[in-house]
This record gives sequence, C-alpha cells and structure tokens, in this order.
Amino acid sequence: MKKALALLVAAALGLSMTACGGAASSSGAASSSGAASSAGGASSAASSQAAGEGGEILIGCLQDVTGATSSLGQMVQAGAQWAVDEINANGGIGGKTIKMNTYDTKGDVTEAVNAFTKAVTVDKVSIIVGPPVANIALAIKETSEQYDVPVMGLALDSNAQLKTDGTPYKNMFSFQPNADQQGAIMAKYAIKNNFKTFGAIYNESNAYSTSLLTPFVETVEGAGGTLPKELQVAYNANDTDFKTLLAPIVNAKVDAIFVPNYTKDLVNITTAARAIGYEGALVCGLDACPPFNTMLGGSCDGVYYINNIDDTQTVLQEMIKAVKDKTGIDATNKFFLGYDIVQVAAQVLNETGTEDPEAIRTAIENVTDFEGFTGNITIDPKTHMTTGMEMVMFTYEGTTPKLLEKFAA
Amino acid sequence: MALYLSIFTQILITIVAVSGVYVLTGLTGMFSLGQAAFMAVGSYASGILVVKLGVPFPLACVLAVIIAVAIGYVVGFPTVRLRRDYISLVTLGFGEAITALLNRATKLTGGASGFIGIPKKTTFLMALLSAIAAIALVSWFKTSKYGRQCIAVRSDELAAKAMGINVPKVKMTAFLFSVAVTAFSGCLYAFYITYVDPTIFGWKKSADWVIMVFFGGVNSLTGSVAGAFILSGLPELLRSLDQYRSIIYAILVLLIINFKPSGIFGEWELTFGNLKKLGSRRSRKALKEGKN
Amino acid sequence: MKGGHTVSLQIVVNGLATGSVYALIATGFSLIFNVLKFSNFSHGALMTLSAFAGYFIAAQRGLGLIPTVLVAMVTGALVALAGEFIAFRRITLHNTSPVYFFVSSITLGTMFEGIVTVKVGANFYNYPQFFQNATIKLGNVVISTSDLLMFCCSAVALLVLAYIIQKTRVGRGLRSVSFDRDTASLMGIDVTRTIQFTFLVSGALAGLAGVFLGINYTLYPTLGSLVVKGFIASVIGGLGSLSGAIIGAVLLGLIETLSISMVGSGYTPVITFLLMLVFLLVRPSGIAGSNIQEKA
Repeated sequence: MKKALALLVAAALGLSMTACGGAASSSGAASSSGAASSAGGASSAASSQAAGEGGEILIGCLQDVTGATSSLGQMVQAGAQWAVDEINANGGIGGKTIKMNTYDTKGDVTEAVNAFTKAVTVDKVSIIVGPPVANIALAIKETSEQYDVPVMGLALDSNAQLKTDGTPYKNMFSFQPNADQQGAIMAKYAIKNNFKTFGAIYNESNAYSTSLLTPFVETVEGAGGTLPKELQVAYNANDTDFKTLLAPIVNAKVDAIFVPNYTKDLVNITTAARAIGYEGALVCGLDACPPFNTMLGGSCDGVYYINNIDDTQTVLQEMIKAVKDKTGIDATNKFFLGYDIVQVAAQVLNETGTEDPEAIRTAIENVTDFEGFTGNITIDPKTHMTTGMEMVMFTYEGTTPKLLEKFAA
Repeated sequence: MALYLSIFTQILITIVAVSGVYVLTGLTGMFSLGQAAFMAVGSYASGILVVKLGVPFPLACVLAVIIAVAIGYVVGFPTVRLRRDYISLVTLGFGEAITALLNRATKLTGGASGFIGIPKKTTFLMALLSAIAAIALVSWFKTSKYGRQCIAVRSDELAAKAMGINVPKVKMTAFLFSVAVTAFSGCLYAFYITYVDPTIFGWKKSADWVIMVFFGGVNSLTGSVAGAFILSGLPELLRSLDQYRSIIYAILVLLIINFKPSGIFGEWELTFGNLKKLGSRRSRKALKEGKN
Repeated sequence: MKGGHTVSLQIVVNGLATGSVYALIATGFSLIFNVLKFSNFSHGALMTLSAFAGYFIAAQRGLGLIPTVLVAMVTGALVALAGEFIAFRRITLHNTSPVYFFVSSITLGTMFEGIVTVKVGANFYNYPQFFQNATIKLGNVVISTSDLLMFCCSAVALLVLAYIIQKTRVGRGLRSVSFDRDTASLMGIDVTRTIQFTFLVSGALAGLAGVFLGINYTLYPTLGSLVVKGFIASVIGGLGSLSGAIIGAVLLGLIETLSISMVGSGYTPVITFLLMLVFLLVRPSGIAGSNIQEKA
C-alpha cells in the first residue's frame, strides 16, 4: 500500500512539475515549440505519409533544445517556427502547409547523429534547419553524405562545410558569415577605430570562442596592431574569477580587449573588467547584442559588438515586439537566423517542389541576393557558405544600442 | 533501418564501456566518475595515431588501450588506496583535468572545436563482436580468481584483508581491466562517429554508465548489459517528448532504483544452468496450474 | 606578481571571494554527506532551481534582495524535502547500500535540470542590480559588494548552522544519526525526521548559494555545474566535515586564483586534481579528519 502511495506521489510530483513547466512556457518562453513538439510527437509517424499525400511539407529542426546551449537552440527553433507559421498563414507553399519537427540533440554529438538519422530516414524531412553550434554540425557531416537532405545550418567553423580537400560536403550549408569572416570584421573595425594594442580573453572549452580568436589575431597583426600571446588569456567552463584572469591584460594598459564569448561570460567579464578599473574598449562577439545590455545592469559604454541583424530598424523592432507579445521570447540574432533559413527554404521549395532532392540542393547552392533580416544572403556553391554577407558593428550608448557601420569581410 | 543500425551500433559501444564499469562498480564496489575520461583517452589516442601518424586502425586500438592503461596506472596507484567515497570525487577531478588538457592541446586535438577527419572504420558487426568479446571477457574475469577476490573486497574489505587478499592489488587489477575495456570502447566510438570533442566525456557520462549498471542490477553482468541496452535506447524512444525527455527519463530511473534497488535482474545471470532452471520452474508452475 | 604588493593582496582578496562561493556550495553538500554518507549530486541542480525560483517569484516582480534570498531558500528547502521523499526515503528505510543514494541523487539532479531548462527556454536572465555601488575600494584593493555580502551571509548562515548542530536538541539528534543511524533509532531518535531536517537545511543553503551564484555569474540552466568545485573543496577538507569543507573551499579558491595568476587558467583543473591527490595521500581523511568509518 505504502509502496503504491509513494509511487503515485512520485509520479504525480514529476508530472505536475513538468506540467507547470509546460503551462508556464506555453504562456512564455517556448509556446510555439511546445505546441509544435506535442503535435510533432503525435504525428511524426503519420507525417511522412501526410507529406506524400500532398497536404504537408515536412521540415526538420535539429537543435540543442536541452543541454548546455539550450537557449541558443531554442532561439533558432522559435525563429524557424515563427517563419513556418507566417508562411502557413499566407497560404503555405503551393497550397501545402509546412510542418516543422524538432529533433533535440542535447548538445551531444552522439545524440545528434541519431536525431539526424531519424529525421532523414524515418520522418523523411525535405530540409533540415541546422544548429548554430559547430560541434553538432561537425558530428553529422559525415553521416549526412549518405543521404540527400540539405542541412541549412549556421556553423561558423568552415570545417563543418568543407572537406579536407576543399570541396564542400554536399548537404552541409551555413547561412551566416564564418568564423574567419566574423573575426576579420571585428578586427578591421577595431583597427579602423584606432585601437592599436589588444588583449583577448576567451573560453578555451568553447568552439565558438576559440574559432574566432585566430582570425582576429591574424587580422589585427596584419594591420599593424598587437595582440601578443601572453595577453591571450584562456579560461575554462567553470572558471569564475575573471578579475584575476583580466589583471595582466588590464595592467598592460591595452586599447581594447577582444571578448568572443557567450552572453553570461560577457556579462561576467565586463563586470569584472569595470570593477578592476579597466576603462578601455571591449570588442565582443554576437552575444553582446541585447539582452546583454539589460543583463549587465549598468552602462555598457565602450562595449562594441558584431551582429547579424540591424535591430534598430523599425521593421525588426515591430517584429521583436510581436514575438515578445505572442511568445514571451526576447528575439535575438539567433531568432532571425532561424527565421531567414526557413524563408530561404520556402523560396527554394517553392521553386523546386519537394520531389527532387538534387534540385533542392542545387537551388540552395544557387541562392543569390536573398534579402533577409540577417542581410543579403548569397551562397557560394564552392564552399556552401555565404559570400560578401554584411554584418553590423554596434556599440552602446548607456544601454541603448547604437549602429556604427555595416561591414563585409 | 539506418536509424536502428545507428542506434544499435551506439548501444553496443556503450555496452562495451558499461561492461568495463561493471568490473569496477559491480564487482569491486568502486565508483569512477572519470571513466569517460578514459574513453576520451582511447578515442583521442587512437584517432591521433591513425590520422596524424598513419598507424593502421587495429594497431592504433591496441596502442590506445596501452596508453590508457598506463595513465590508469598513474591515476589508480594513489586512488585505490583511498577510502571508497573519495574515489568517485578524485576520478571526477581527473576527468576535469583530462578535459582541460584536451582543450589546451589544440594542435594535437583540435581543442574545443573537436578532432575531425577520423575515418569511419567501426561497423555494426565490429561493434557486435566487440560487445560479445567484452562480455565474455568480463564474465570470465568474474568467475576467475581475481573476480572472486574482487567480490570479497566489495563485500567486506577488512575480512578480505584478513583472508590474505592484497586489497590494493585486487582493486588495481579491476581498475586497470575496466580502464582497458572502456578505452577500447572509446576507439570504437571515435571511428564510428568520426568526430570527437572534449565535452562528451564529462563526469555526467561516467555517471550515466554507473546508473546503467544499477538500473539493470549491480550484482549481475546480464543486468548491467541489459541496463546499458535499455537506458541507451530509451532516450530514442522518448524522442517525441522533446524537452520533457530528460525529465521523464529521470523519473523512470528513479522509480526503478527506489522500488527495485537490486535492479531489474537482481543477481540473476544469463547462463545455460539458470535458463534451464527458469524453464523447469515455468514448466513446474504450468504443471501445478494444470493440476489445479 | 607584476605590480608587487598591492596586486598580490588583490589576488588574495579575489581568492577569498571565490573561496566563499565554494564554501557556501560545499557546506550544503557536506551536511548531507555527514548524515547519510553519500555525495549528493543533485545539490548543483537544486541551487539552479532555487535561484530561478527566487528570480521568477521575487526578483522579477521588483522585490529586493532579501525577499529573493528568502524565496530561494524556502524553495530550496521544500524541493530538497520533496526530493528526499521521492529519491531517498525508500533507500534509507530499506537500509540499502549508500551507493544507491549516489545513483538516485544524480538522476534527481537530471530531473531538476530538465525542469529548469523547460521553464527557462530561449531567454537569458539576470538578477536586477541589487546594490547601488557594485564595488568598494579599500586602498588599492577592489572588492565587489556582492562578494562582501556573500562572505557575511555565508558566515552568518554557517555560524547559525554550527550553533544548531552543536547546541540544540535537533543538532544532537543529527550528530547521533550521523554517527550511527541504528543506535540513534534505538535511543528514541526519529531518524526519518532528522534526515528530513538535514535535507531542509541543506536545501536552504543551496537556495542561498544559488542566489549568490546568480548575482555573481548571471542565471543560466547549468549554473549548478559549479557544484563540482564544492565537491573538490569538501574532498580537500575531509568529506562530511563542515569545518573541513569551509577550510577546503577557501583553500581551493586561493589556490585556483594563485594558479591562474601564475601559470594561467588552462592548467588550473590539472593543478587542482594533482593537489587533491597529494592532499589525500598525505592526509587521507582530509584536513579536518572526520570520524566516519568506512563500512560498505
């Protein structure tokens, strides 16, 4: 009896916890994803049939919905879902509606391979919206060669798209400038701004962080600036003492510190740098975009960052507001990257239909001058990455983002 | 089909690793939260040997296992002399250290971006044969002199010492044996996924393996293998739950641990004798029911 | 090292600040070890859960630091209690080997983390600025207000805890259960109640630690992974000993900070690991050398 009771309580507690999590998120963070996933769960088996009947086009969304980078994955997912809903509300693609299934990778490469295989072999999706985390793309690239489903991803690491011989993996695509380009853009901007001496602090256990460092250093040194080895400070995932880490850089009285890290680290590093009296510039990566300014809880003067989107435009601001009102999500660049990928996919599928994978791939390879929120997207068929795509340099005045310049690498 | 093949290959690789963990945790009663770090050593060492030095794959596996055992000896020497509850935390520290080193040695390992370009060598058949070999080896170990000494040490260390068993030596043997098996699973893994990065070998992975051993039955190799099978397949079955997946998974495991602490299989082992017993019990039962 | 005297003083202050974060983590963890003899791996996820509860229930509504801390502590205590019932009660009652606690606690942690991930979703969160001045300057040394406050808060919390354990009836019960559960039960101590009390206190400490971690390092679903530092600290100090955990934590904080400023951060985990080994070989029962006998 007691046994049964305990069992019941355990189950009830677990369920109620998940349920209230779910209830909260349906009014908040992940409403679109929640709805999509429950629908996706029920009909994932049926959907492959449905696609065949001509009523639906099934696409996959391979993201870290849970795990260490869940906020990035959920943001891309939310943007992609937003685009799907918008396209469906406007009549879909050639009369068919799009349905998006999400495949969680847990941020784990093994899971990612299984999730990918499930999407392409069991559910038979037409296109996959890929992850923003390069490690996941690197993990699935070999497996993807066996199939004919394009992965429209966001990997910064060009190794995710290119084989060692320099030819592209046939299915792997990236829809934002790669690490070399982004690092170079930041460095060029910094040099142009008359910064000469640099330090850098980067997360050694994070691929995004490490992949931006080398191009930045090379561009800076190529343009006459200095970023000596001893001022390139590495730290690990669980390091928290940024004051001590930053001390040598600050003591060297550099003009600017390069900080290519994720949002939480950026907040911690900026706080620590200001606390120990550093007054120079901080040149940050993508993740210093809002909500960094509200998270820092103080003036963000001197923080420079690169962004995929120009969110000072009214169109974007209206959309950000609409997203916030409907889902509770504070849309960032990852949201719009996901959104644009689905829009590109829709355009491609509109041209080619879903029958011929070869045609879909060729169409993606030849995407030219697609005007998205994240810029003018042109895919280079030789590299499967964007070419000449502009990024936007921003700074803050107080806590208000201020657009500085649009830049291509 | 491709999906099942992929999932089953991964499950088999996990089974190889978990049979190593069984030797350590099930037989000897030691917990290692750095076991996945030895898998990392196996993966990276074999990968580097093949990709950078052109060593043939089978030889690379052997060398990688030897390297892992050598490192295991250095870590194990002080560790097995510690009190048991310290072992898990010290090996956890070891795992963190290995991850940090893998991130540091960017030239050799690719750092946080991971090690790319490993050729695909592991097939389903190879994984299957390896799993069978690992299980056979472990079950031989269990019934051998060493295995029985391990069980004696687990049950009562003082009594084992009094019986003249060299406790540190027995613990060390079990530790190195499990390191070798786990490192080998790392070789299989690297050459199956073709890509490794340092994040996948954290202490959570080691903990997952320990959970698998307990889930199936800590006193039974059959149970441990079954636990590995069920728990590495379960997340795939639960995939449609999306972000709720890990919560439901945790609830299921909690229920088993709490309501069947000896695991699904208890002490039961899959042997011909036990199968016969099971069969005869069943037929006797049927006979009884028939009579009634 | 470069600036001489003042810089090294600054490094010591930084180390103490880091150490006091670790101390707060390590005590809650150590308390459970003291009584039930197992490493509670759900402690980290519990810190995250209660830090977020503090955010959503109090901080987000504009309530100040004190309500936030209280909400987090209460949540931590209640969730720990519920966790004890779900994951540990049956194991205690059946006197199954403590290793099951270990397995159960890891799984419980996974569950907590899953719940947080679902609730948090795609957004980033941070506590509002609780302090007018983020830093205080004493001569050339800079101290964060939050570090200072955390130092005081943990000191007070730990003193209260020490008082409860040493001087009160519950505390005596706790110590006797820690020493020998069966005998304590025979002497008329309600073992289940005592264990519940332990979880309640440990949960409240997790809540307190969670809020301070959140203030210092922003809120994110894997915030609790810092608990690893607490584990290492309590190993150095001697598992299960509260004073040992605190000493170990402060020592770890100082060592890490020193090693960062001398050899750089990349090798810090390697150095801590080696140090842990040396400590255990020289003094196998940790600094404090607690009275736990091994009995498998």
